[in-house]
Amino acid sequence: MRATPLKSLASLTLAVLVLAGCSQGLLGDGGTGDQSSAPAQGPIVLGMLIPQSGSEAAIGPYMSNAAQLAIDEINAKGGVLGRKLELKTADDACDPQSASAAANKLVTEGVHISVGGYCSGATLPTLPIFGRANIPMIIPAANSQELVDQKLKHVFLINGTGSQQAAAAQKWVDKQGAKSVALMHDNTSYSKDIAVRSQDLLGDKAVIVEAVTPKESDYSANITNVLAKKPDFVYWTGYFQEGGLIARQLRQAGYKGSIMVADGAVSPKLAEIAGDEAAEGVYATMTQTPETLQGAENWIAAYKQKYNADPGPYSNQSYDAVRLAAEAITKAGGTDGAKVIAALEAVDGFPMFSGPLKFTPEHTLANGGFQILVVKDGAFTLQDPLA
Amino acid sequence: MTQLVWNGLFVGSFYALVALGYSMVYGIIKLLNFAHGDLYMLGAFTGFAILGAAGGVSSSAALPVLLAVLLATMVITGLAGVVLERVAYRPLRGAPRLSLLITAVGASFALEYGMRVVAGADPRVYPVRLGGTTLEVFGARLTVQQLTLVAVAVVLMAGLNLLVTRTREGRAMRAIALDPRTSALMGIDVNAVISRTFFLGSALAGAAGVMAGAYYGKIDFLMGFLIGLKAFTAAVIGGIGNIPGTMLGGLLLGLLESFGTFWLGGEWRDVFAFGVLILFLTVRPTGLLGERVTERV
Repeated sequence: MRATPLKSLASLTLAVLVLAGCSQGLLGDGGTGDQSSAPAQGPIVLGMLIPQSGSEAAIGPYMSNAAQLAIDEINAKGGVLGRKLELKTADDACDPQSASAAANKLVTEGVHISVGGYCSGATLPTLPIFGRANIPMIIPAANSQELVDQKLKHVFLINGTGSQQAAAAQKWVDKQGAKSVALMHDNTSYSKDIAVRSQDLLGDKAVIVEAVTPKESDYSANITNVLAKKPDFVYWTGYFQEGGLIARQLRQAGYKGSIMVADGAVSPKLAEIAGDEAAEGVYATMTQTPETLQGAENWIAAYKQKYNADPGPYSNQSYDAVRLAAEAITKAGGTDGAKVIAALEAVDGFPMFSGPLKFTPEHTLANGGFQILVVKDGAFTLQDPLA
Repeated sequence: MTQLVWNGLFVGSFYALVALGYSMVYGIIKLLNFAHGDLYMLGAFTGFAILGAAGGVSSSAALPVLLAVLLATMVITGLAGVVLERVAYRPLRGAPRLSLLITAVGASFALEYGMRVVAGADPRVYPVRLGGTTLEVFGARLTVQQLTLVAVAVVLMAGLNLLVTRTREGRAMRAIALDPRTSALMGIDVNAVISRTFFLGSALAGAAGVMAGAYYGKIDFLMGFLIGLKAFTAAVIGGIGNIPGTMLGGLLLGLLESFGTFWLGGEWRDVFAFGVLILFLTVRPTGLLGERVTERV
């Protein structure tokens, strides 16, 4: 008997929730519908999924600050089509479940275009969510091949892809004359992608592919495994926290060969974690960073002035993503998803930090722009542009 | 081979230190304190803060300074454990065990994300690093610092074992583990003893946190999560509630991981280690040294 009123209360709550959800969705749809036909009203909302908590939380502000910087600049010049731009960030925690929830939240909040995505594993499940809502995605950082393999029309990558990165790694391995390469990854979509692709490219030179468990402190067991194969080159394709520990523990275990990390591990923190001695001479495959950009002094100064902090990894790509979004919406004459996608596909020679932009049919950069950095005195500096 | 053994023992001694707190608390009030791994994290950050406040430390004095920091941190995390018990667990003493478990999970999140608010999401790096002169022993590479850390861990664990088996305090703990109500009737201040148990367990976790910080260098607010799970596993393998069993479980888990990585490769390590856990739970649910009816502390 006691269950009945409870049950009815529960179903009532559920009904209210469903209704609320519906009305929000209907309103949202109606809103965008109006905007594409009638004179545009209200701000254009850019959604950005970034890690604000979890292991990669350090990256989030680099990306959102740079995006906000671009938005402020565009708004100061009168916005896009007479409308202001507005940034809505949501936390994906570098985790697929959190990312799906956050993407749904952004969709119900009525974003018109997505300019976020850092961890590939977390970005992957958000593709269909934005796709169903007809929201184009310009992904500034996430770059697993899996993101483009589905050939989704609304997904555009402005960072080099995993296969381009693997190709850059192979080039550098050859240039260094390394004979046996150990590949280490953390079993996430992004990391494994690069490791496996590098293995394919390197062929017999890849002597071992070792997966580690991320977020641990002790990798001595993995390192013992790797060193048993006597490699003269170790390529870590995961993120910077483990990268720093692995570089340090490799050196402690007496490894004398080269160490290289992929773009996810490029952070000033890597050298700090590894310690100056172990970090010195660590190579990295990386697209443009603020430090290696030519002629970006003004931009870096503007960033510093606004946030009282240095820009970091993927600041420039996030900044470019916003500018590219604004450009596409201007060309499309509104925020209608299909028109914006067509405008993005038609982009030719749009100036970005990575060079003039034109998308390939797969919606990736024709040239990944990967270069080789090296740690010198605790900071990543340009070693070889691999041009 | 000796390298694998040494790797396993080194990691295992961390697991064992953290697992002891789990085990003691479970032994006395049958609570799986999921926030225990976060006390390890708290210890690492406390040590970091103390070292930061102390200013620059010359590398020659690194070891004695670190030992002093270790002791200070143990006191602070110990007190934090007492506060945690008082605030989060004592009000639920009579509640169903599930409520306690959920509270423990909540406490864990509160500590993690509380630390994130205080210290930020960026990982921090210890100002003092135990680098190391490398020794070759039977073909295994190990450093003096590793030996020191293992020695500290062994001393702490031996001390705890003496305390529990040889002192009045320890007898009170064992009595409560057997029967809290009767212990109270015998004039034991149950709440006080439980508080002190939390103090001891948390202090050990804090010590492990400082040692991990000083050795590995990197600390972050989520560092306690995984080791908390590992410690729980270690405690179950060894016999949760049983102190020597827990120590053994920690070392064994370290060895299992080390050899699992070697035999099956990195991606199979956890499958192997946790597969063994499942095997243990089916074949011998009481763990290696746990007995069906036992004095648990």
